[in-house]
Parts: sequence; C-alpha cells; structure tokens
Amino acid sequence: MRAVPQPCAIVIFGATGDLTHRKLIPALYNIAADGEMPPAVAVVGLARRPKTDDEYRAEMEEATRKFSRQPVRDEIWDGFARSLFYQCSDFGDEAGYRALAGRLDKLDEESGTRGNRLFYFAASPDQFETIVENLNKAGLNKARQGSWARVIIEKPFGRDLRSARELNRVVRSRFSEDQTYRIDHFLGKETAQNILVLRFANAIFEPLWNTRYIDQIQITAAETLGVENRGGYYETAGALRDMVQNHLLQLLCLVGMDPPTDLRADSIRDEKLKVVRSLRRFKAEEVRTHVVRGQYGAGTINGKPVPAYRDEERVDPNSQTETYVALRMWLDNWRWADVPIYMRVGKRLPKSSTEISVHFKRAPQVLFNRETETIEQNVLAIRIQPDEGVSLRMQAKVPGTSFRIESVKMDFHYGTSFGKASPEAYERLLLDAMAGDPTLFARGDEVEEAWAFIDPIEEAWSVKENAPKLCTYPAGSWGPEEADELMARDGRSWRRL
Amino acid sequence: MPATAENSIVGLPVEVIQIDRELKKLWASGEGVMTRASLINFAVYSEAADSLGKNTAIISQLTENHACRAIVIAADPAARENGIEAWISAHCHVTRAGRKQVCSEQVSFSVRGEHCALLPNIVFAHLDSDLPLYLWWQEEFRPPLDPQLWAWVDRVIYDSQTWRNFDEQMKLVETAQEEARQRIVLSDLNWIRLVHLRLALARFFDHPITHRHLKEFRRVEIVHAPGFHSTALLLVGWLAGQLHWDIAGDDSPTLWISADNRSREIEVRLREEKGEPISACKVTTDSAEFRIEHKPGADLLDVHFGRVQGRKMQQLLPAGKNTVVELLREELMRGGPHRVYLRAVSKVRELM
Repeated sequence: MRAVPQPCAIVIFGATGDLTHRKLIPALYNIAADGEMPPAVAVVGLARRPKTDDEYRAEMEEATRKFSRQPVRDEIWDGFARSLFYQCSDFGDEAGYRALAGRLDKLDEESGTRGNRLFYFAASPDQFETIVENLNKAGLNKARQGSWARVIIEKPFGRDLRSARELNRVVRSRFSEDQTYRIDHFLGKETAQNILVLRFANAIFEPLWNTRYIDQIQITAAETLGVENRGGYYETAGALRDMVQNHLLQLLCLVGMDPPTDLRADSIRDEKLKVVRSLRRFKAEEVRTHVVRGQYGAGTINGKPVPAYRDEERVDPNSQTETYVALRMWLDNWRWADVPIYMRVGKRLPKSSTEISVHFKRAPQVLFNRETETIEQNVLAIRIQPDEGVSLRMQAKVPGTSFRIESVKMDFHYGTSFGKASPEAYERLLLDAMAGDPTLFARGDEVEEAWAFIDPIEEAWSVKENAPKLCTYPAGSWGPEEADELMARDGRSWRRL
Repeated sequence: MPATAENSIVGLPVEVIQIDRELKKLWASGEGVMTRASLINFAVYSEAADSLGKNTAIISQLTENHACRAIVIAADPAARENGIEAWISAHCHVTRAGRKQVCSEQVSFSVRGEHCALLPNIVFAHLDSDLPLYLWWQEEFRPPLDPQLWAWVDRVIYDSQTWRNFDEQMKLVETAQEEARQRIVLSDLNWIRLVHLRLALARFFDHPITHRHLKEFRRVEIVHAPGFHSTALLLVGWLAGQLHWDIAGDDSPTLWISADNRSREIEVRLREEKGEPISACKVTTDSAEFRIEHKPGADLLDVHFGRVQGRKMQQLLPAGKNTVVELLREELMRGGPHRVYLRAVSKVRELM
C-alpha cells in the first residue's frame, strides 16, 4: 500500500531559481493535472526579489508551459495557480521568517493545509545553515500537535565526508532524521524503482544475481550536454562529486543490495547502506590503477562544434576539474566477491544515456566449441533514461541449415508497454515527501559512507606532485582512451550504447 | 501511423538534436499496429550525389528480411559550405503471419564540407545499444581511417569489384582492422557474388568418389564480364587458398599455378565476355571435366560433370542474383568470420 500524500504547505527556498522553474513547479503542476494532488496544498515560493503573487504565478506559468512533461491545460493551471504564492524575503532575514510563519498560519485557515509544512531547500548549500536556524527561530521546524514539518534537501550533500557530516549536524540540530528528505532524483525514476521489482518479484533473476553467474556490472551515465551555465559550480564539483557520489552509487546500491526483510523505508535503506559500506576503499596508490579521470576538449555534438571545457564560461583556463570518470570497483561481500563493477560518467559524450548492465558469465562452449562461433554474454540492461526500459541480450540460432549463433535482444520499453507516461522523478519524490515515505530518499549515514569512498580518490587527485593524469577526450567521443584501456586490461570492453 | 519510407523517399526532416525525440514520436503514433524490430545497426556511407534515395530504397527492400536500425549517410566532403541535415523514417513490412507490421527505423544524414569529419559522432550517437554495428562503405577507403570509428565496427561491408587498386585498398582495411583492436569481419560483396558458384563447384568434389580429382587439376578457365576481373581473381584466389596452390607466374590472361610442392602445374585462363559477372567456369582434370555455366539473366546455374570417356551428368543449381540487395541479403544471412575469404585475398594479393 502506498502512503497517501497529505494536505500541506510547500515552501520553496530559492523560488526564482533554475530548479524551481525547470523541475519543481512543473512537477507540482503535473501532480495536479494527474489528479494526485491532495485536496489542500499551498505552494509558497520564497526568494529575495520583490514580486507579487500574480507576477510569480505568471512567471511560473511560462516556465511550466516550457518544461512540463504534459501540455498545460488552462483550466487546471488556473486552479493550481490559485494555490501558488510568493513570499519576498532574504534567507537571512528573521523578520521574513516570522512573516512566512504568519502567512502559513493564514493558509492553514483559508486553504486547509492543516499545519503541515514541507520546506524545500532549492538554494545553495552554503545557505542551508542560515535557513535552518531561521526556521528554528520562527518555530517552523516543529509542527503543531497532529501536524508535521519536513525538510527536503537538494544535492550536493557536502563536498567531502567532513562537510557532509557538518551539513548533517546542521540539519539534525533542528530537524530529526525522519523529518529530513535528501533528494536524489535518480531514485525517483521509474526504472530505478523497477530495479527492486525486477530483482525481487521475478523468480528467474535473483538466483543468478551473484558472483557465481555474473561476470561484471557496468553503470553508465553519459550525457551530450556540457556544463552549460553551471561552469562556476562544476569547477568546485567535477563529475565524481556531481554524479558518482550520489546518483551512481545509489543505483549501485539498488543493484547490489540484498533483499530487505520488509518494505519499510529503513529496511530498504539499511540494505543499501550495507552495499556502500562493502565498497572496497582505494588506497592513494591504487587510484591511478582503478580510476580514470578525463576532461573534454573541443569537438562536435549533434553536428555542432562545441568548445573545450576550459573554454566554457566561468571555467578556469587551466582547470583540472574532471568531466569524465571511469572506475573499476569491488563490493567486498559474499554475493559480489570478485565481480568487478565498472562505472563511467561523462559530459559531452555522443549520446545521453544512463543505464545499468549486468553481464552474465558465458555459457560453457561444450556444445558450440567451433572455430567459427563466439558465444556472447547474456546482458541484462536496465535503461534509466531516456527511453526507460529493460532489455535482455541472448543467443539465438540463425535460421538455415548452418549452425550459426547470433545475439538477439528482448526489449521492454516503458513508453510503449504501458499506456501511461512515466511521471517525472520529482513528481514521485514530492508526493512521497508529502506522504511521509522516505524510502526513495538518501539517509544521512548512506551519504556519509558514500563520501568515505569518494574522499580517497579526490585526495589522490589533489596532490601537488605526481597526481594521476587528467586525460583529455574530444567532445562527441566516448571518453579518453585510458578508460578503454582500464577495461581492456581485464579483457573486457565498455558496453556499446 | 509512422511515416514509412518507400522507394526513394528519405522520410521526415528533423533537427539533428531532436532525432531521438522524433523517433519516439514516430513509434508512439503507430503503437499497437506495428512492432519495431532490430537485429543490427546498419550504417551506410556514400559520397555519391544521389545516394540517399537509392540507399533508402535498398534499405526498404533489405528490411523485409533483416530488421535493423539503419543509419544512412550521404557525404559531400568537397562541398564549400558546411552543413548537416537529418531525416527519420520507418520501413514497415507485414509479417509472414500477416497480422502485424514489423518495422525498422532509418535515420538519414546529408553531411557537407568539414562536417563530414563528424562521421564517428553521427554513428555513435544513433546506435541501437547492444546490437552489432555493420558498416557498409560504398566508397574507396582513404587514409587515415578513423580508429575511433573502426573500433566500434563489427563487420565492414564493401565491394572490391569497384576498387581501382585492390592491394592498396586491402592494406588500408587490414590496417584499420589491426588498429581497431577488435575482430572486425571483412565482408566483400564481390566474394558474396561468387557464393553460389563456389558452392556448385565445391559440391562436385564433396563425394568421396570425386574427391581424388582435386589432385588432378590441369586447367581452369573462367569467363567473366567486363569490370569483373577482380571477381574472377577472387575465384582463383579461393581455389588457390583452399587447395594450397602457389602462384607460379602471370602471363595474362593466363596464370600459372604450381601445386603439390611444385610437382604439378595448372593453367588458369581468364577470359572477358559480356554476360553474368562469372558466366562460366570450367575445370579440367586428367580424367574429367567440370563445367558451370551461368546464362545471362538466368536464376539457375547449369552444372555439368563428365568423364573423358564415360558418363555425363547435368544438374541445375541456384545462381542467386547479382543485385546489391540480394548480395546484402545473402551476406547478412550467412555472416561468419569469412576466414576462407581471407585466405583467398591473400592469394589474390600474391597475384597483384
């Protein structure tokens, strides 16, 4: 049974920012359009620039028309817009929070939001402490009897283990762990959720899901985009912090975890935590062998020339920031002993695709031990985005008198198999937060363990002398040659996407 | 319903950046009526002026038997202006059961000027994942061949009949194959052109009774059409490779072969005559004659076997068709690593 989203007031800190325009408001509109919105929800955008409710509504309507997954219907938008409000305040202005508290109380009376508060931090992490403290001073972190207050935090959850712990300390000082929802939008995607269903609701996979039958796992997050207008942020993050620490390790957890004892949020998150804990940590000298970092040079994407990373806006011309990472990892537990896990993430690659592929060991060549035949591995590919779905590569005999074997693919596409479009990840996650279900949100200890894996790599890269090489690759290619060599050393190659 | 491509209609023009989205829409519009199918990525590269339409027509026929994701590229590297245009289309065919349409998708590109250097990116960006990549290269190979592209190719298809310099072209292909660090299968349509003739010839000697004749070859006469000299040479290369012959001398149009550790000499005569690519092949041994004739336009080979003073036999065997669609169909159906071809090529290069 799915928990039911409850009436509440959603307060977005960073109401005029990119995330709000592109994701949050369109997601809330789509929830309303799909009839999933609880009967009384008010959305209050809080930001520094002065504007009226009507001006804010007009701005958000324009954004929603541009970014919504479904066309905006005027009659639905009109109803949704009536529950959209704007509160002008600086994040550090205590009076602004008192005004916010008053406005929320008023909305409780007028709209029936019942004292439930969902605070969405769509602001820069360096503002979090200020926001948390001021929410506390205004008494907004504690809900009235019978109501709740929750906080949603956007990544990055720190930039290393130390800062992640500090961030957790700040948030926990005013909100308990069960009030805190760390959003990783990858977990809200249908296919990410489907990993658990695929694994644990199909009897054919789980018996094979171990070192005895699986040869390797590959996780890829490729995108054609460069850093766009996020050069300033990206310079402080890089691909490892921006993607691997959160999204890709979360996907690895879903693939690698043991069956939870039940479907309670903490049962699932406990199993995920065990996966991150069993990741073999790299020593400084091992980073060079198991990790490749790269940065894109000038090249071509979709027929258009694109500049090198170092020529992007707000990027240091001598930048050492990686836009590509490839890793070879191991999970030191019984299930995954000796199964290498290859992960790669990169910007300005030829196509955008995020997927997990599970490569099974080859069938014995007893029957087909002929010079002319090479038996390929069975590969189960779980496509996270775009074109969400699952495919299974297997071997088939080519019709005819000769005995020829070829790979064929059984393919399941969400888009065509189910008549209904998949909701955007943010829709699902917002609904879960309204319902008080933290299953698809990262827990503080998971985040810290992930940083404990990432930190030694970052440290090895940051040494002044003899640091592992930053390789370059032309935009539009599949990454640096060194990443191919990482696989070739094991007699393997990256899956062709 | 998707916009199906028929004959020379290339399809729906789309922005390069929107190809995936438009393909999704294309399939969404035909949901329930058709099944998208694909067994290979089939990339076609041509620099001929009118190639897009012609290749689309070929793909349309080919997809009746071989469902694929086709990536058809028409390049004009000499164009003064740079440019790239794209189209998408679907080739739909009713299944044998007659109920559902099975469709293959085609993405077409017209690339001009310096944008022709984008070939690897175009191919990489539009592959159907997990499926092998077959590249049909309709031009002569020019150095340097992009190792990045070649590393992804599973099978390169070409027609050596159109090459001006077989040896030079073959060296380029082999270099690319080595640089790619993976097994690329070389598929020569000129070799496929010989498949039925080779089968017919080999069949003569399959039976243990006729097997001994292989050691008694004295003369081979091959009649080829103008422009198919290389096809005839491949046939000689095949015989030489399989029977461990050595090329002893070239006294064009006669070749001299030494066999059995130079203890036996075989005369090979090539003759040009209008007709099918290889219209006749006659093998004379000490005691018998094997003859295959392919009359113009016939879909059967006329096969004769006779002892010098003894029984004569005749048989009709499939001849196949020397059209590009049929050759491709045959190649895609047969597959395999073509090791026999490589041995034949090696012998042909000795002849060059």
